Amino acid sequence: MPVLSIAVGSDPAPINDNWVRLADGAAPNATDRVIVPFARLKGGDNQIFGAAAVGVELGGADQVEDLKPWLDRLSIVVLRFATFKDGRLFTSARMLRQRLGFKGDVRAAGDFLPDQTAFLLRTGVSSLEVSDTFPVDAAASSARAYSVRYQHAVDGLPAAYDERHAP
Amino acid sequence: MYIYDKFDQTIVRERVAEFRGQVQRRLAGELSEDQFRPLRLMNGLYLQLHAYMLRVAIPYGTMSSAQLKKLAYIAQTYDRGYGHFTTRQNIQYNWIKLEQVPDLLNDLAEVQLHGIQTSGNCIRNVTADQFSGVAGDEIEDPRIVSEAVRQWSTFHPEFSFLPRKFKIAVNGAARDRAAIQFHDIGIQVVRGPEGDVGYAIYAGGGMGRTPVVAPLIRAFLPKAELLSYLEAILRVYNRHGRRDNIYKARIKILVREIGAEEFTRQVEAEWALLRNEGVNLPEAEMSRIQKFFAPPPYEKIAAPVVAFEQARASNPAFARWVETNVHTHKVPGYGVVTISLKPVGGIPGDATAEQMSQIADLAEKYSFAEVRVTHVQNLVLPNVKQADLFAVWQQLGKIGFADANLGLIGDIIACPGLDYCALANARSIPVAQQISERFRTPERMKEIGPLQIKISGCINACGHHHAGHIGILGVERAGEELYQITLGGAGDETASIGELLGPGFKGDQVVDAVEKIVNTYIELRQPGEEFLAAYRRVGKAPFKERLYASA
Ligand code: SF4
Repeated sequence: MPVLSIAVGSDPAPINDNWVRLADGAAPNATDRVIVPFARLKGGDNQIFGAAAVGVELGGADQVEDLKPWLDRLSIVVLRFATFKDGRLFTSARMLRQRLGFKGDVRAAGDFLPDQTAFLLRTGVSSLEVSDTFPVDAAASSARAYSVRYQHAVDGLPAAYDERHAP
Repeated sequence: MYIYDKFDQTIVRERVAEFRGQVQRRLAGELSEDQFRPLRLMNGLYLQLHAYMLRVAIPYGTMSSAQLKKLAYIAQTYDRGYGHFTTRQNIQYNWIKLEQVPDLLNDLAEVQLHGIQTSGNCIRNVTADQFSGVAGDEIEDPRIVSEAVRQWSTFHPEFSFLPRKFKIAVNGAARDRAAIQFHDIGIQVVRGPEGDVGYAIYAGGGMGRTPVVAPLIRAFLPKAELLSYLEAILRVYNRHGRRDNIYKARIKILVREIGAEEFTRQVEAEWALLRNEGVNLPEAEMSRIQKFFAPPPYEKIAAPVVAFEQARASNPAFARWVETNVHTHKVPGYGVVTISLKPVGGIPGDATAEQMSQIADLAEKYSFAEVRVTHVQNLVLPNVKQADLFAVWQQLGKIGFADANLGLIGDIIACPGLDYCALANARSIPVAQQISERFRTPERMKEIGPLQIKISGCINACGHHHAGHIGILGVERAGEELYQITLGGAGDETASIGELLGPGFKGDQVVDAVEKIVNTYIELRQPGEEFLAAYRRVGKAPFKERLYASA
């Protein structure tokens, strides 16, 4: 599936980073960049760390704090939206960045809306896994929609109150 | 009141542009109704039985006369010449055309109004005591906190896709006029042990099919820490609130399922971390907001105001209106006027463009250009000189809004019901109209005394029937509209949920049933005892007996 990188101040751009989903129970090749379900990490399967790079996929019900033991060995965390309504993943993204200090790629996958791009960006998501028919333009306008915001978030942008009281 | 600066204005402008783009995609067929639905629901646009309905936010119920003028203009230009003030201190327009919505929003933005977060599973428009800043029993004007909460909750990056809608209410006075214990979060301004101002926090209240009076989860929160504490509550709810069943998704169910104690423990644990993560509002911003709510330049007025006293003495109808609809102002020589939008036989909360425009003029002339909306669907002129009350009353009479029924049986809350709402089981408006007709005379209303009737057209309880002294709920049984009656609900600081009396009534029997309840009360009350107090003393038995005796 196509992947778009997203970042503050630039339009979503296609990237090709060769992540593959590792089949259940399979051992990775040393040259592969593999993504595994959270269950496999929790199961204590250390052979996956023989891969070139390792990532994990979480759903809305997973608690990001539980990733702690592995976090410094992970290069990507995929947050899968079973439905765009599952707002838990915005909390997961934000906590991954702010509380757990995760510096790798945080990728949204699944049923999120292009119009949610602004929220994804603000909570620290850095790439989108999308379908071939994904309306990139709509995601781009969402990312550009707001030049002012009322809260601090992961993107590090100033809140309105910072700008108001700037010296 | 709060006035936008360029930052606030930019956000609202950018929202209009974003929504214009979304509407264009819908009209061009790039989005199906299914795809468009979540987008329009983030901006207060519903598809109702007959047309689109647009809900416009009136933050914590305060608006300027210029804003009310614009609401009148919108009614005239984009609707059928009227609007409907709601129990959430908002206004709804029921006959909106999709292709006109972007222009409508653009017009609203000119006066700093919008439809942001008036629907959807997000933090909704904050509500507050309609007598903020003018009632004598206030610790601090709750609109200061409300404005801080408005900004914080607008497009919150983490909390815009909650399990369900989320309502916050703020009260700053001893009397609770904002029904805070029936909200997802209720904020009560209190004084701490050292006399410093802070907040008591209630969480997990609500109406709907599972009415709950919110438990107190924190007795005192220092002022500076409000936003991080709210954020902690929202985070616990966002992560752990149920998403498998829409009827169990409100925070009240989470609080009930894990218990208030465990919920509080989780919130406090989350807060311990969050309070240091840059969420709280800087002191400078709080005081900037506070300045907007400084008292207007009141005159020093010597009591008594002779002309006012004379008008009262010589005009019984005016005297009655003053008694019911004018609340004591904290400044001598002023009064707080509540304009009843409940004329006999009218639709509760409806106002025509002409009426709105006239009220805006009155506010400009007599009330420092400010108007409030109450959660009882009335409007308030908060700062009227006693010397001007007679003129205001006369002007209101000309537009049919001089009814002296505030807090009395004619002051009914009714949701839109089956006349508009796609979710309704039964009509609410005609029931309200019939009741107000039956008890139309001022003498009868006065004899009955304070009595709140609240009517919902379905279990979603938008008409707050659970909190009605007499609550009326439309249900559907075998294709027929029936109405259940509850007694003893209250939305004030003694919050309680009404108790169901028995089997429902057909539409044409409801008024008689209400009259029987009222007569029963009058017979059994002790001298000076109001309906709610009498009900709490005797319970439902005598009412039930009377109501179902002859059936
Ligand atoms: S209570 Fe029911 S009928 Fe009335 S407005 Fe709400 S959803 Fe509609």
